Amino acid sequence: MTVQTSDVRPVPTAEWVTIPDLYDDPYPLFQRLRAEAPVHWVPAVGRYLVVGYEACHEIELDAERFTADESGSLMKRAMGHSMLRKDDPEHAAERQSYGSVLRPRAIKDHWNAVFEKNARIYLDQFKAAGPGADVVSQFAAPYAAENLRLILGYYNATQEDLQRWSQTLIDGTGNYADDPDVWAAAERSSDEVDAATDEMLAHLRDKPDHTLLSGLSHMPMSLEALRANIKMTIGGGLNEPRDAVATTLWALLSHRDQLDQVLADSRWADAFEESIRWVAPIGMYPREATQDTVLDGMAIPKGARLGVHVGAANRDPALFADPESYDINRPKVPHLAFGGGSHFCAGAWVARASVVGVALPKLIAELPDLRLDPANPASIQGWVFRGVTHLPVLWT
Amino acid sequence: MPKVTFHHDGGNADVLDVEPGTSLMRAAVRNGVRGIVGECGGQAMCATCHVYVRDRYLDALPDISEDEEEMLDCTTAPRDADRSRLGCQVVVGADLDAIEVDVPASQV
Repeated sequence: MTVQTSDVRPVPTAEWVTIPDLYDDPYPLFQRLRAEAPVHWVPAVGRYLVVGYEACHEIELDAERFTADESGSLMKRAMGHSMLRKDDPEHAAERQSYGSVLRPRAIKDHWNAVFEKNARIYLDQFKAAGPGADVVSQFAAPYAAENLRLILGYYNATQEDLQRWSQTLIDGTGNYADDPDVWAAAERSSDEVDAATDEMLAHLRDKPDHTLLSGLSHMPMSLEALRANIKMTIGGGLNEPRDAVATTLWALLSHRDQLDQVLADSRWADAFEESIRWVAPIGMYPREATQDTVLDGMAIPKGARLGVHVGAANRDPALFADPESYDINRPKVPHLAFGGGSHFCAGAWVARASVVGVALPKLIAELPDLRLDPANPASIQGWVFRGVTHLPVLWT
Repeated sequence: MPKVTFHHDGGNADVLDVEPGTSLMRAAVRNGVRGIVGECGGQAMCATCHVYVRDRYLDALPDISEDEEEMLDCTTAPRDADRSRLGCQVVVGADLDAIEVDVPASQV
């Protein structure tokens, strides 16, 4: 690429950005950052924070300049070196080994029935809990965890185990404060996952089925890579559908006119895609510059550790009119919530099928007068991962 | 060099000369052709590089793989039984030195 050096701007420093402010509500901070530049050095985070859509998109499409295999990765420490922190061709080979397990045909042939059954189980439990129940902990989380457990093939574990593994491994991945208790919990889960994985691999080698572990048991992947990849999948395959269910429902219950439109024309896909644009469950992921380079006009030094914030990109006014609003009728523009390029989310179709196809329509069909609890408001938190953490609802 | 033509609604077209071995998706994304997204970078995983191939080029195309087949059922614009393909799965070169496709109204 040819760039005139006179056009290249130095990256500004944003001293004023703090992690507690980001955690509480990052979007006003992103607005202020974006107005000044698409990339900032943020000392509190220790990263070059990328908040512009074009810049995020450019990074996604160019692994040569922006490697996924960053140095000092907390994710590698928590989960091992998974394909998410590798570039092609190593990444592609491991990705290929996932085969068709997470693709639309397998979903149609095997997993939709699992989603239907699990929705039945956890909706019954949710209704039994009665008005005031929390959608996140009493429906979305166990539903997503049980779906993931059965797709992966952990017949020797419970959905509660999956929830604990997922949360503690993710907490390790985000342990910027280097809290020893967080590392200890992540390590415990890592050991538990390894033991459960080894047991299931031995079993599924003799009795193959449609699960991911069964497929992987016949693949020539090293055990080290397999263990890391399965932990990455546990980390990424649970909280994201959970958060998508809760955030989409919260958005619709807060915008009743849009819920009416969704119900009138079964527009659950629009409601879901707009929800993950509006609040991307995985907000930020890392990349590292392999060379001195220019990113959307900004000078990036070799070795720069980047925080690619697709949650911020998804609200870039250059691409999205009135970006801070939840609006299922906005003009269609590809959002970046599933990532892009070779690391595009492998679970995207599972998420769509389980959330759009089953969880959301069933929840509203069974509880048509579902509404927010004015005395007990929802809470929404996070900036690396963001979602509704508590969503109490009422019904009659 | 092989020639790829992307026809848009309203009669506009992007005509590109591309290196042999390049997929239609890659050619479009590199050159900023509007209406081709290619979210997944060419893994037949996202169905956002859907194109309608013009009839006279259909015989020169490779067979549709299983992965492409299931993705063609996930496109936003309706699938055409004969003409729909994923741009990432059609590669120009010795067997296909020119192709013209119509870009669908929507990919997402």
